[in-house]
Amino acid sequence: MRNLLFNLMISMLSGIFICLILFPLFALFTATSWSELAGQFKSPLIVSAIIISFQTSLTVVLAALVLGVPMAYLLATKKFPGKEILDTLVDLPICMPPLVVGLALLLLLGGESKFGAFLSGRGVDLIFSRPGIIMAQLFVAGPFLIKSSRQAFEAINENVTKASSSLGASEFHTFRKVLLPLARNGIYAGMVMTWARALGEFGATSMVAGCIPGKTETMTLAIFGYAMSGEMGSSIAIAMLLIVFSFTSLLVFKSRIRKQLPSTQRI
Amino acid sequence: MDIALRQISKSYDGRPVLENLDLDVAAGEFHVLLGPSGGGKTTMVSVIAGLTKADIGSVLIGGRDVSLLPPGRRKVGLVFQDYALFPHLDVFDNIAYGLRVRKLREAKIAQKLKYYLEKTGLEKEKHTFPHQLSGGQKQRVALLRTLVTEPEVLLLDEPMSSLDVLTREQISAELVNIHRKTELTTIYVTHNQAEAFSLGDRISVLHNGKIEQIETPEELFYHPKTEFVARFVGINNILKAKVAATNRYEAVMEINNEGLSQAFMLRAKNYPVFKKGEEINLCLHPEKIDLSKKNEARDNGGNRICGKIAERTNHGNVFKVTIDIGGLALHAVIPKSLFNFQVYEDVWVDFAPDALHPLCGRRCREPEFSRKCHNISSPELVGVCRTDA
Repeated sequence: MRNLLFNLMISMLSGIFICLILFPLFALFTATSWSELAGQFKSPLIVSAIIISFQTSLTVVLAALVLGVPMAYLLATKKFPGKEILDTLVDLPICMPPLVVGLALLLLLGGESKFGAFLSGRGVDLIFSRPGIIMAQLFVAGPFLIKSSRQAFEAINENVTKASSSLGASEFHTFRKVLLPLARNGIYAGMVMTWARALGEFGATSMVAGCIPGKTETMTLAIFGYAMSGEMGSSIAIAMLLIVFSFTSLLVFKSRIRKQLPSTQRI
Repeated sequence: MDIALRQISKSYDGRPVLENLDLDVAAGEFHVLLGPSGGGKTTMVSVIAGLTKADIGSVLIGGRDVSLLPPGRRKVGLVFQDYALFPHLDVFDNIAYGLRVRKLREAKIAQKLKYYLEKTGLEKEKHTFPHQLSGGQKQRVALLRTLVTEPEVLLLDEPMSSLDVLTREQISAELVNIHRKTELTTIYVTHNQAEAFSLGDRISVLHNGKIEQIETPEELFYHPKTEFVARFVGINNILKAKVAATNRYEAVMEINNEGLSQAFMLRAKNYPVFKKGEEINLCLHPEKIDLSKKNEARDNGGNRICGKIAERTNHGNVFKVTIDIGGLALHAVIPKSLFNFQVYEDVWVDFAPDALHPLCGRRCREPEFSRKCHNISSPELVGVCRTDA
């Protein structure tokens, strides 16, 4: 009887949480008709926002992969002075309000700063440009890949790494042939989370890149812009597309990981 | 290749794990490191393999100081307690790993592995992943993965701790066979005394980062130097004794363990360390104890005390019996065929003087003239009877 009550309570509380997610989605998906929705995607500005969003977010994933995996490996496997500070620093963007991130990047890269002036003098303009969007998104979303990859590296049996060393492998060989393949699910998970976070990034991007239609307007900026100017149809269309993409990619990823786990990760 | 450890010390977070450790393992020797968990055994093999750097001291293999060499250049093979197979690689790729690191041609690797896989009966499993293998198969793969690289020294870190008894016996026989054929210098880590006694040419007992005793199995069992070693090899009868008298052959010892209602005298062989009036710990080998119902004199030169059977536990073909001697718990190992007593029954406990051995912290040998059991023509029984049985 007690178990029944407990399970009932757990189900009810979980149900409330699911409603918190489902009701707003329901409101969004019933706000427009399918024909109206299809019409919105003929607008070149909306198509451009979609293209910019995908271009920048996928570039962010690649950049995070190249820069984040080594950082994750460093934090997971090495002991060095100041490691805790570095670890906290890497996590900081997750806690920082995106607007603050945007402001910081604006101050660093803007023409009035020495660094910004230095870059500008060499023809590199990051403010109000797509590279600026990438920087802002990388700053905000990159830590997700690092966190996930780090956990994956840490989960690998230490003796497996030692076995590789005792068999004569160099650290790089062990990293390439043992650690990367074993951590790949964690890295994939980090890539998906980074991509989803970058795709949905708004605050930092708006501060650094502004909202120039066809040039720096991403999907989230477009949703905000259209909603503010009363064009709710366009705003809803982009929002729905964003949700469909995020949900589908997460679902595909999760089912793929679940299928892979028994054959590669267990011992 | 012989192995020598010189003054090896290692601490983790200020806690010493190995302290000034010296060890010499002869070329071709099968050496067992025996000790309880947390005693530093794994750290020691890790230091030899080069996976852990000692704080001070040096490791010599074949007379060459390898302390600063990376693991791959020491020619040391290490088999881990949990096998540490690469979970994303199948059996073939696991075994081939070390050969590929050495950049052997694939054709050569295939040829070499074919021979080994057939010999170990793993041919059918060569495309199987580690999680699909049994414990024994995993162990064979781990061993093979190390052996194919042709190391000069083999380190086995509790390789059979998670195997069932039958598989353990099989693998144990295979290890002996491999060692006989390859004559590879081997260090085998275990906390299992039975494994140590059956496999080792010599055994080092490691306790709290220090080697308490290095001996052949026979010597270690019959001449433990310390109380820890005695208890670890299964001798739980530690008697606190005071030397009451000595003659050329024998010593009379006054036993006064804590909890004993009344001190009593025992006869032991005379060892050079016995000095009248000195206190010393003795161990009494449980398998050298006889039990009888009647107070009959025996020709073992002996000790006879009476007590009560307090407990009896079943261990295959023997009983482990606890006898209460006036508050002192004495442990005996009695073959089932000779045991016809009831629990709580009064019994006479007999043992010869050579069943007692001093735990003096160093190698205690009895003097030459008394090594063979000295027959006493009319033994005067020494002991105390708690009851009138």
